[in-house]
Amino acid sequence: MKGAMTKPMVPSDAELLRLMLAGEEQGFTELYRRHKGLVYRFALLMSGQASVAEEVTQEVFMALLRSGRRYDPERASLKAYLCGVARNQVLLLMEKERPYVQFVEESDEGEAFPIMHLISGDDPLGDCARNEANRLVRQAVLALPARYREVIVLCDFQEMSYAEAALALDCPVGTVNSRLHRGHALLLKKLRAAARLDSAASDAQGMRCFA
Amino acid sequence: MNCQDFEKLTLALARDGLLDATTREQGLIHVEDCERCAARLAEERALLTRVRAVVAEMSGEEPPARVETALLAAFRAQTAAAASSTVIPAPSRVRRWSSWKLAAVAAGILILISVTAIFWRYGSSHKPQSKELVKTPAPAVAPGPRITPLPTVEPQEDREPMMVSQSKKQRKRLRRRASSEDPTEAEMATLFILLREGEDLSALERFSLVRVELPGSAINEVGIPIVLELANTTVTADVLLGQDGLARAIRLVGSNSDTESIKRDYGAN
Repeated sequence: MKGAMTKPMVPSDAELLRLMLAGEEQGFTELYRRHKGLVYRFALLMSGQASVAEEVTQEVFMALLRSGRRYDPERASLKAYLCGVARNQVLLLMEKERPYVQFVEESDEGEAFPIMHLISGDDPLGDCARNEANRLVRQAVLALPARYREVIVLCDFQEMSYAEAALALDCPVGTVNSRLHRGHALLLKKLRAAARLDSAASDAQGMRCFA
Repeated sequence: MNCQDFEKLTLALARDGLLDATTREQGLIHVEDCERCAARLAEERALLTRVRAVVAEMSGEEPPARVETALLAAFRAQTAAAASSTVIPAPSRVRRWSSWKLAAVAAGILILISVTAIFWRYGSSHKPQSKELVKTPAPAVAPGPRITPLPTVEPQEDREPMMVSQSKKQRKRLRRRASSEDPTEAEMATLFILLREGEDLSALERFSLVRVELPGSAINEVGIPIVLELANTTVTADVLLGQDGLARAIRLVGSNSDTESIKRDYGAN
């Protein structure tokens, strides 16, 4: 057609991976740039620490370099595969940090680890949160036990399907579904509690102003 | 649809997820009649709205550039390593085989040297394996004192009494062997030197000739003085063994190029 603009073909993940495995740097670079944000943000939401997210991102793509041949595109999307590796890396790093972080016993009702310890001080989440509502959501997610947090991060924040999340987490789809329901219930409970605390704090401040 | 059934659909309805049209419609009809489930759906929708706000806020958060730099360096190193391991496997296997072969040859030479040295020094009765068994009439050698230092030998083959003359057949064979190995380098050798004073080689019914590689210093150790420049190198020698396996005589062997000193100092035939 005259004057028609042909849209440049965007190579698929499988094509880029094939290039990467053939030793083409461009293949690896494109894959990294396409998925680095996904992996980094997943690790950041899971850990609440930029340093952990950075380390996890590097480890995930190093794993792709080392074991890229073992990835089966027929079984899972690359996104799910990378998030699966990232999830394992986050859990490993969090486990390593356990002696230095005062964890509380993980339970459905309790917090996975003290939120304020991770958010306060030089934690980048505090810098990143531009408004109070977002900060509360991120704190509440971090306070969830890992098994619910990972499902919520994948399905809600990364907008993965239940099937993809199941592949990333290596569990049945039904487990993803039930954990997502339970995770949402816990998240809402924490947000309601946080809202009540905020409201009470505002009231107290207002009372002092009038005093 | 009751409240329990609706609860299972809440998340899917909130995110407008994959629901067939009929189920979706039934859920929405239930919400119209149930305030509690309507509030529940609203709460889930509000939560997802807040989540999307966080996602939008985090959209610019990415790993620092140093991560990409480090990964690219790792990629290049891995690619280079893979390339070298792809190209070289056959040569590397050959090299490994060669080193084993060399080790075996070296071990063999060492064993031979040790056995020969023992023969020379202690007159042991061990019989080393000969590389070449020469069955010729016993050479006629007149008795004489052991030569120290090595005599200057003229190229005549009948130089007696200190030398064992070679048969024409034997010389021809050695010459042929030398020329087949390297046509540009003819093999040169000194005359045979008796290792035992007064030895009568004519009494031997048969003898064996053994080619050995010896450190120059070993030649010195068995009592034959050797020039300094050969003392630190490996010297090729033929050892004449009697039928009893005892070493009787020795001669130094080398190519034209590396036996200039042999010729100069000891002569050659």
